[in-house]
Amino acid sequence: MSSFYLRVIAANRVFYGGLCRSVVIPDMDGEKEILAHHEDLVIAMMDGEMRFQEEGSAEWKHAVVGRGFAQIAHNRVTVLVETAESPEEIDIARAREAKERAEEQLRQKQSIQEYYHSSASLARAMTRLKVTSKYL
Amino acid sequence: MANTKEIQDRMKSIKDTLKITNAMYMISSSKLKKSKKALEATEPYFYTLQSTMSRILRHLPDLDDIFFRHTEDISLEERRVGYIVVTADKGLAGAYNHNVLKLAEEHLNNCPNSKLFVLGELGRHYFEQRNINIDQQFHYTVQNPTLNRARNISETVLDLYMENELDEVYIVYTKMVNAIQTETEFLQLLPLKKADFEVPSLPGGIPVEEIQFRPSAKVVMDQIVPDYVVGFVYGALVESYSSEQNSRMMAMEAATKSAKDMLHELGILYNRARQTAITQEITEVIAGAKSQKNKK
Repeated sequence: MSSFYLRVIAANRVFYGGLCRSVVIPDMDGEKEILAHHEDLVIAMMDGEMRFQEEGSAEWKHAVVGRGFAQIAHNRVTVLVETAESPEEIDIARAREAKERAEEQLRQKQSIQEYYHSSASLARAMTRLKVTSKYL
Repeated sequence: MANTKEIQDRMKSIKDTLKITNAMYMISSSKLKKSKKALEATEPYFYTLQSTMSRILRHLPDLDDIFFRHTEDISLEERRVGYIVVTADKGLAGAYNHNVLKLAEEHLNNCPNSKLFVLGELGRHYFEQRNINIDQQFHYTVQNPTLNRARNISETVLDLYMENELDEVYIVYTKMVNAIQTETEFLQLLPLKKADFEVPSLPGGIPVEEIQFRPSAKVVMDQIVPDYVVGFVYGALVESYSSEQNSRMMAMEAATKSAKDMLHELGILYNRARQTAITQEITEVIAGAKSQKNKK
């Protein structure tokens, strides 16, 4: 089975680097799967759940990623995101608190900018909670 | 020659200063260790971001996009320029702050119509004293940079840029060249310049590769340029913080060393002065005894 080299780099660390068979990333309108020898492409990524299958394994590995983009060039995929966490690393209590805080802020009168901030942090907290409840 | 009391007082005050510089040296070296770790973790992101961005820009078709505005035809006097200046919260860091401020001021003189976004107390005081207009609401510390702070900073600047209140955005920060060397950097954040990333002429026969964009080049750029700015600001903050601690550590090390040298020299002076005093006393005693003897 052919594979490609995947690198996932978050702002504070290199999250993953290795050979993969397939990777699915959150796209602007859903998800996008990338297989080996994909054409050269740049994709804008949204907050959400990413999953990838390592070479020689049928098991999917999951990660929660922040905004960023993926670049495919010469059978190498580079995913550059603000944050990347595996389900085991997520602090559920903190995510729940963040969710409650964001929900409370959304109920109050806010400026447009504050509204964007709260809804973005709500989205981040929701993805974290969703992924942990699914895979842990 | 100064008397022994004066020299002793001087030595005492140097010793007190030495204690402070030594403590500061220790504090900044432990902070440096922490910030170096953060820097090491961020560097792959920071450099990949820059190289990827330059690659994308190289292959990007000509776009009529706000991020690729042409500002060359606006005269320097009329160009509205925003500067993000990263300084330290405190001084005593050698030439660190001075270098940043000097570089920023050089460019300020060229563009009278500029807006300053200063990070760090020291830089803010500097520009306030010179009556240079700075954004007062822009209050951030540079200690322990976080992604969230970088996000807020970039948002402020991006908003102004998008609302067409700024034509260009620059950032002045300090880069760690290697473990001991730092360098002040002046970079244009916005608009993105394709000319910066000129393709080196390819040897014949190699087809120029093409990159596709999903959903479209414009949508992708609109989405990733803000992320690029956030990432860049974050990287710059981490680099600057590390450089600051590094400069402070070196400055304090030098201060401690010169205090020790001074103490050594003053010690010799003190011994000499004391010896002179003793010699003089003995001479006086002997002279006194002699005169008594002569009286008999």
